[in-house]
Amino acid sequence: MIIIGESIHVIARAVNDAIKARDAKVIQDLARLQGEAGADYIDLNVGFLRKDTEETMQWIVNTAQAATDLPLSLDTMNPVATEAGLKICKKRPLINSASGKTDSKEQMLPLAKKYDCDVVISVINDRGMPAEGDSKLDSIMDTVAYANALGIPNDRIWADPIVLPVSTAGEGQKNAMATYEFIQMLPEALPDIKSVVGLSNISNGVPVELRPLLNRTYQMMLQRYGLYSSIVDVLDKDMMSMITGGMQNMVDLIYRTMDGEDIDLSPLSQEEINYVKTAKVLMGETLYSDAWLES
Amino acid sequence: MEYKAPVESYSGVVREEIIGIGEKALKLGGENILPFHFFDEGSLPNPPAFALEIADMEPEGWPEHLVEPFKDVISDPVKWAQKCEDLGADAVFLRLTSTDPAVKDSPADEAAALTKKVAESIGIPLIVYGSGDDSKDAEVLPKVAEVCDGMNLLIGPVHKENYEVVGRAILDHGHKASAESPLDINLLKELNVKLCHFLPPDRIVIDPESAAVGYGMEYSFSLMERVKQLGVIVKDSMTQMPIIADLGRECWKTKQAMENKEQGLLWEGITALSLILAGANILVLRHPDNIKLVKETIGGEVWQK
Repeated sequence: MIIIGESIHVIARAVNDAIKARDAKVIQDLARLQGEAGADYIDLNVGFLRKDTEETMQWIVNTAQAATDLPLSLDTMNPVATEAGLKICKKRPLINSASGKTDSKEQMLPLAKKYDCDVVISVINDRGMPAEGDSKLDSIMDTVAYANALGIPNDRIWADPIVLPVSTAGEGQKNAMATYEFIQMLPEALPDIKSVVGLSNISNGVPVELRPLLNRTYQMMLQRYGLYSSIVDVLDKDMMSMITGGMQNMVDLIYRTMDGEDIDLSPLSQEEINYVKTAKVLMGETLYSDAWLES
Repeated sequence: MEYKAPVESYSGVVREEIIGIGEKALKLGGENILPFHFFDEGSLPNPPAFALEIADMEPEGWPEHLVEPFKDVISDPVKWAQKCEDLGADAVFLRLTSTDPAVKDSPADEAAALTKKVAESIGIPLIVYGSGDDSKDAEVLPKVAEVCDGMNLLIGPVHKENYEVVGRAILDHGHKASAESPLDINLLKELNVKLCHFLPPDRIVIDPESAAVGYGMEYSFSLMERVKQLGVIVKDSMTQMPIIADLGRECWKTKQAMENKEQGLLWEGITALSLILAGANILVLRHPDNIKLVKETIGGEVWQK
């Protein structure tokens, strides 16, 4: 499992303030902490960077590189910002991300060729977000064909099926299942292409204290289906423990729930029960509500 | 080869709930098939019921053709309620409009006393709704529950913001709760889960919010459909409650219904019919002619299978 650390994210207030104030320490601490916690890549989610585009991107790349030797994931939809970052990356970076939208194919994908780097391609295209496993796969196959024609080989491409919040009126649960299908079908349909997800989006909009439980459970489920890489909260200790083979009793319970076993909850601890209930929600077996642990 | 129509059989059952007391108490729900799926294995023991809406004060903004059937009683909620019973309603729906802080802010005691008077003056069950102002309803509805102790009213709207205080009063005084959430399946389930921490699930009715045809009805439709499918097919215990469709209010504020009687009747009638198809168990109407119109359209006899 390749772990991409998500903590340097413009939506986090401290990060946003640090970027504006050019406060290197905040960024460097986060880069270092995530490296120590086991990240393989450090994601730099800087937003679109409408203002001071190139200067800001280069500042944050330089700042992060001063604190860590890990490769970076340049997370912006803005190709100008992406290129500014690519120019100064010391290790082969990851472009995060391109998509099947015309603009992105024409402006973002050529950068992956020009700088010989890895690139995330999401299933989003000009028609929107495909909802089913096979339509997600169709979309990615089209974009991969386009990328191949530009001279980008499959082993440079990471495919993102797009995770949606599980709390969105039932659609999120359907999408969670379509994502399992996508990850299972990908190796046969597109050999050498890696799968990657922005994991924490699964729990967006969920009461904040309950988010880690959903994130960890979903990570374990996707990992079992063969997920290659995940953008996660590496500062969540239990998450990292589970990813690296710890907390086996919890992981077993998640697997047994996935296998459809009717698990007797009475001998289980509260924590174990919570993992079973969460896996049931993420398998689409019980309808999500913010009170999913209470019933 | 001979064609054999597939017959489905489900193991989920919508809870059968009774509102009101005495001979004319009303049974809601109890079905273990989807709406109108009479060809499947199972039954819909209780046909959709119809409540007529009244208010605790003379309503403002009702078009003349809606006031007309009640014009001699509309300033007296007790007489108005009795007239609804005479006109064939299965229940009366009393909206305590005057308690709204933005209307008259009338006190809880007054509203509770009036509610009791109305409930005692009719044989059919009473559904009583506060103004929808969460903090005011948290005063008014518990008082209503207390004063009408043991009358088995359906009391709402119970919201996420006031479910504890309103729900406990409903529990203590022998009533049913109408749990309302804003057109969202996840929020609907959450509210039922929270209420069920202290209130038995067979004392909850679901109000998923009902929009009028042309004004978002399809959202209400697909939500009710979803509630029934989850309850009957998937057996999600937290969606196995009867559904109330509070639709008259939404229909009669449309431009079309305001214009003339015929359009108004059709607007309300078609919305009601559509929501019955989606799974509504009790429908709140404003115009009495629509009880007959909608009942005839859905064909009373098939519901007695």
